Order: sequence, then structure tokens, then C-alpha cells
Amino acid sequence: MKRQYLYILFLLPLLLACKPKAPTHVVDAGTADFTKFIAIGDGHTAGYMDDGLSLDGQKNSLGAMIQQQLMMAGAPAIEMPWMSDQNIGLSLNGLSRLILGYKTDCQGISSLSPVRVSLQGETSALTSSAYNPSKKYSNFGVPGVRMIDMVSTAFGNINLPQHNPFFARMSKDQFNLPGSGNYSSVQENIFDGGYPTFCSIYLGIEDVLPYARSGATQHPMSPLAGFPGVGFEESLTQLCEQLYGQNVNAVIATIPNISDWPFFNTIPYNGLTLDAEKAASLNQIYNPIGISFVVGANPFMVADPNAGMFGVRPAVPGEKILLTAPLDSVKCNQMGSIFPFRNEFVLTTDELATIQLRIDEFNAVIRQKATSYGFALVETGDFYDKLTTGFAYNGATLSAKFVSGGAFSLDGIHLNPRGNALLANEFIKAINKKFSAKIPLINALNYNAILFP
Amino acid sequence: MKVMHQRRLLVCIGLLFISMGFTVANAQGFQVNFQGQKQQGMGCAGSGLIQDASTLFFNPAGASFVSTSQVNVATTPIFANVMYVDSATNEMYRTENPVGTPLNFYALVKPKRIRRLAYGLSVTTPFGSTVQYEPGWIGRFAITRLSMKVFHIQPTASFKITDNISIGAGFVFSPGSVNLQKDLPVQFNDGTFGHAEISGAAMGYGYNLGVYYNPGGFLSAGLSYRSGINMSVSDGQVDFTVPEGLAPNFPNGTLSASLALPSVTTLGLNIKPNASWNIVADINYVGWNTYDTLAFDYATNTSSLVDTKSPRMYKNIFAFRGGIQYAVFDKDKVLNVRLGGGFGFSPVPTGYLTPETPDGNRAYFTSGISYEFNKHFSFDASIYATKITRADTNLETQLSGTFTTIAWAPGIGINYNW
Repeated sequence: MKRQYLYILFLLPLLLACKPKAPTHVVDAGTADFTKFIAIGDGHTAGYMDDGLSLDGQKNSLGAMIQQQLMMAGAPAIEMPWMSDQNIGLSLNGLSRLILGYKTDCQGISSLSPVRVSLQGETSALTSSAYNPSKKYSNFGVPGVRMIDMVSTAFGNINLPQHNPFFARMSKDQFNLPGSGNYSSVQENIFDGGYPTFCSIYLGIEDVLPYARSGATQHPMSPLAGFPGVGFEESLTQLCEQLYGQNVNAVIATIPNISDWPFFNTIPYNGLTLDAEKAASLNQIYNPIGISFVVGANPFMVADPNAGMFGVRPAVPGEKILLTAPLDSVKCNQMGSIFPFRNEFVLTTDELATIQLRIDEFNAVIRQKATSYGFALVETGDFYDKLTTGFAYNGATLSAKFVSGGAFSLDGIHLNPRGNALLANEFIKAINKKFSAKIPLINALNYNAILFP
Repeated sequence: MKVMHQRRLLVCIGLLFISMGFTVANAQGFQVNFQGQKQQGMGCAGSGLIQDASTLFFNPAGASFVSTSQVNVATTPIFANVMYVDSATNEMYRTENPVGTPLNFYALVKPKRIRRLAYGLSVTTPFGSTVQYEPGWIGRFAITRLSMKVFHIQPTASFKITDNISIGAGFVFSPGSVNLQKDLPVQFNDGTFGHAEISGAAMGYGYNLGVYYNPGGFLSAGLSYRSGINMSVSDGQVDFTVPEGLAPNFPNGTLSASLALPSVTTLGLNIKPNASWNIVADINYVGWNTYDTLAFDYATNTSSLVDTKSPRMYKNIFAFRGGIQYAVFDKDKVLNVRLGGGFGFSPVPTGYLTPETPDGNRAYFTSGISYEFNKHFSFDASIYATKITRADTNLETQLSGTFTTIAWAPGIGINYNW
């Protein structure tokens, strides 16, 4: 054997490439057509989070997240009624958005707490129309919109007290003056200038949530039956018929079990922690009516007109103390003990059951419509259940815990950008499955969760 | 003249020590099978063919069959590139591994008075790993960088019981160090993530036993056993970079941990049809099942910082290695050319693949060359190449994707005999 050959033999392993070659992936719309995509929904779709609508929130909204992925398969660029880049945010009550900051409580102890980023919200957004006739919105997410509001002409009428300011600023009516003309509904705005080819529909939360947030004291839930604009079922049927008649495909989502959200679960029913002295003094007051306290954890006292002659009783397991409960008053003014929590801060088990029943009824309708119109279906309940249990995601752990869970924003109701990305993935999965599409999921870890000072 | 050589050798060894650090992707788990250039040329097999002082590692019994006293130094830079493709998002990330430099140093002495005896010292790096992922990679909360170094310092003695059979034993001191870093899913106000770094020195002890049989003809064989070693980190340090508001939850402090290095049992055969040819084969049985958990015990625990126990559940595996060697004799000079390859099963079960050790069943190919300049000096070189692909969903982190690794390891070594 010649020596040269031997040297060549030695170099044989060099035939292998140096670096692994990146694979190519096929992205495919399947049987769906995303060229005219519109996201329809409430604050989740709009990007309402940290109790406010802001530019950052809009960019990281559920609607924008879904659309951003569909853009790989033909969907147009995202057009929304953008808020200003100051990112102050605007709540339904005119306040600025929440951030995590330091707050000094009534006992002078400073700790991390959600605080408003500014004294006033971005109220200028309420007086300037964001409508642009040359740009059609691809996102009709309206914070606060109910299923039964979709055909309402009062919803964007600024002359009426019940109008929705977030819709009014994006409506084609552009703040019509009193008597200057008719006002159009959300649905009319969506279909103005042509039908979409594909919609995501996430409605129904606002038909039950305001009732639950008020401790079941205000804002009655939408009824199931009734004409479009009155009843949940007919309102949805009307929307679906419109889409179906124009061959519009859609993905539709059920309503999650809202009582699993941090807003209803951060303050435990037995969060009244007592030392010996306080327990003794409460026992002096309450022992005569058969209620006693121990050192350590005790149920909060809640107002209940049916609870004996004093209308007060200890909370029971399963009842929810809302995040709106004034914790400073608990610490310093004996709220929740000597002074029971008012009804607006408490959801009783009966109230919870009523809410759950209504959600179940609505969801049965949503599922039935999805089947009969051939829409993809997202079971949001499954997603939120997983979040309630907590799960690992690419090495990070996410849960429904307030602040530390990493998925909910500081209002305890709306998801933060990372949470929205995860929920958007559920929409993408449903679309992929129903329409044989191949659209990649979002890496939710690329999106912010809670920012700490 | 002799003094000169020794001085140069010491300089060489010193240089090699400077750039220590090894990469993944050269063997099963975080085993590094680069302990002898001649073996590396033949698929990392050669426990049954004693050619130089590297037998101190491969089979301590072989030392008394080495004909001369010798010093042997070698290094094998490892160029390993790992690519990760996430199955959900199609996102692709790569490693930015530094070049790994496993080292081995052997000194074997044959006392003139007792020809049946040999003793020696070896310094090798049979375990280790450095893997560094690109910034912002999808598995950043599992790991961003792992650097693990293990040295085996092994004094060894070997004795020929008969002319054909020898035994050998070595004691293994195993100092090491570990540095593990990852991002934490907590964010500063500007959106950047927190970071954790765990570092510490480790120490472990073990032994190495062997039997070697060589009747001097067609066949020779060796059997060796290297014990498992429990590397314990007793005084590690953990440092957190987190937002001020979370600092009380993540106190910097000490921690303890341990890592079980597996035992390795090797049966090696050598067939020598004539003076020019050698055919070698090794079977390894690696006792990886001792590595069932990676646990960190922090001195100070908080609600956010709890002791962790990550399941690894490694299983015992077999690896098969083999190769051929062809010798060309030219007066007193000898040229050896080698080819080989091997196959090893991965110790990592389905559901337990981690980015720190993106392991998989692997086939690899090697080649090698040696040249004896004179009866004192010889030079070895080898090339190792492998490609590994493994898809998995980790049960603990839910990281789901495909790791593809291509690794290159060209090695060089020198021998001085007397």
C-alpha cells in the first residue's frame, strides 16, 4: 500500500459537515384563508391588561398574537386603534394602568404591590377618534363588550351614558354629534367595507364577569334567551349566520371558569390572622352569638342578611373574597372581623354556582354553534384549568397565582403578554387541527410577564 | 539532552492545563472517551492491545506489558456544535461552545530490578462537559451554560503474575469543578431576566482494576473495571441576579450537591493476524443508573428558593468500539495508520433528555496515525467525528424539540520512551 493512500485514509472522518444544517419548515394555511383576518372579542382580544388599555398591551393582545402567527400564512398586517406610545394606559374607569411598585400600608410597612403608573389615565384617547377610513381594523377587540352588545347601536353612541368609550373611538361614526345621524353597531363596523375571510371570536366573558366582579351585587348577567341584542344565544346565532352566509371561516372560544382567576383567589377565605390578644377581643364580641376565633388563621367575617339577627357569619371554604377588598382596612380598621366584608367583596357558594351555571349554558351554545357552522373550537376552560394547576413551559413554571404565577396581569383578570401568547397558541392549535393548517406556535417566553422594580 | 526534553515536556503540559474545559458530544452522557491517541484512531478501542502508557487508564494491568519507561502527553480539542429545533415554534438555536480540550498525561516507570513490575501516574479527564447556548435561547430557564470538569489523578501499579498474565490496580483522586448558569423567569423593569449561577469545587475517590492476558501470539485480551465515583460539592456558591424587589426571595449563599460518575467495565480483545495488522474490539458496560437525580440543597431556603431534585433516571448502557491498525516498517521507523468506529447507546431515557447533556444513541468514526521518529520519540494523531440526533420532550421542563450535534475532535500526542 502506498503511503499517500494511508494519509488519505486518515483524513476520511473530515467528510462530515461542520455544523448541523438548519431544517426548513413548511407553513401552510390549509383549507383556511387568512387574507382578510379579523379578531373579534373583548378586552382580552384588545390587549386590555393591568387594568388598562395601552399601546404595549395592544401589541401583546390575544388578537395581535394570533394574527402575528397567521401572518406567516397570509394574514394582513395588524391594524388596531393604537393608544399613545406613552403607555400610561386607560382603564374602564379612566385610571392609568397598574404596575408593580412599592406601597406603604396603614401600618407604615412598605411592600411590593400593584400601583397606578400615573395619577390619571390616557383620557385624551376618549376625545379623539382613532378611526381611519383608509385603514380597516383587523382587531375589533373592545374592552367590556358583551355578546349581546354586538348589534347594539347604543354601544358607540357617546350621547348615551351606557356607551363604551373604547368602541366609540374606533367606530366609523367618529363621535357623531347629537342628532347628526345614526350610530352603528360593532358588527356593522366589522363588516363595513367587505367581509373578512377568517375571524377569531372570543366573546361572552363580559356577559358574566361584571356581575362576578361586583360580588354579584350589580351588572346582571346576560340572559340566555331573547332576541339578538338581548339574549346570548340569538346574538351569537345572528353573528354566526352573517359569517356563514359569506363563507367566512372562524375559530371560536368558550368562556373560561372566571372564578379560578387570581382576582377571586388571591385573598383566602380564612385570611384573618390573629394573635392571642386580637382573638380574645373578637371572642368577647362574637362568643355571645356562637362564633369563636382562634390564634392563627380564621375565616373572615362576611355580611349575610340570612345569617341570624346580626346578618354576619364567618366565610366558609369555597367562598371567594375579591381582590377589591380593602386590605388596609383589614389591617388597621378591623374590616373582615369586627366589621364584616360587605357583599360586594364576597362571592358566596350560591352565587358562584349561579355564575357557573350561566357559563355552562353559554358554553353549550358556543360548542353547538362551532359544530353546526364548522368553526374551530378553543376550550379555554382546559387552558385555564392547566394554569390553575400550574405547569412547566420550556423550563419555566406558570400558574394562575397572582403576580408570582407569571401569566396573569396585575388586575388578576386579564392575562399578561406571556399569558396571551400561551392562550393564542391554543387558538393556533385549534385552527391547525380544524383546517389542516401548519402554523407554528409562539414562544411565549419571548413576551413579558410581570416586571419587578 | 534528556533534561532538555523533560523541560520541554513540562512546558507542553503547562500549556495544555491553561485551556482546560471540555465539550459535550464526545461520548455517552458526559463521559469523555479521549484518553489515548492510539485508541482514538481505532474507534476508542484498545483495552486488549497495549501500545503505550495510556494503558494506565484503559487497563492498569497492561502497564507491566509496556516494554519501556515512558511519558505520554496528548490533547484532543473538541469542536462541538449543537442545534436545537423547538417542535412547537420551529425556532432554532445553536450552542456557542468554547473549544474543549481534554488532556491526558501518563508517566510509566519500569524498575530495572523488578522487570515484572510497572508503576505510573496518570492525569486524565474522563468526564466533563462545557455547553453554552446562544443568548435568549428557548431553554434559557433550564440552562444557559454548564461547565463541568473532572480530573482523575491515578497512581497505579501493575504486576506480571506469569509471563502471560498481569494484574493492575490504581487509586483515583478525582477533583473537579462545576459551574451551572441559567436565567430565571423573573423580569427587571426593562424586561431583562434574572440569572442564577451555581459554582463549586468537587472531590471524589475511586479505583481502577484490571487483568491482562497476552500469550504473545494471535490473541490478547484485557478486562478492566473503573469504579463509580461520587463527586460531592460541599461548599458550593449560588449567586442570583434578580430585581431589588425580589432580592429577599433569592438570597445568595452556599449549597451542596453531588454527582455520581458511573462505573465502567471494559472487555477488550486484540487479534493480530501478522506483524502489520491489529484488529481490536472493546465492549464497555457503563453503570449510569447511579445518576438518577440532580439535587441542589441550598443552605437558605425561601418561598421562591426551594431545594431542587431533578430526575435524570439514567440507565446502564453498552457501548461497542472497534478498529484496525496497519503498520508500515521502514528500517527502525514505524508508521501506523488506524481506522475505527463505534456505537453507544444513550443512558438518557425518553422523557429525560436535557439541554445540559443533549445525548443520543450515537455512531462515530475515527482515524489515526502514529510515527516513530526513533526509539525514543513518537508522535500520534487522531480524528474523531460524530453526528447525533435526538428528539424528546423533557417531562420536568416540557422542553420539546430535536437536538442535533456534530462534533469533531482532532487529537495529537507525543511519547518519550527510555
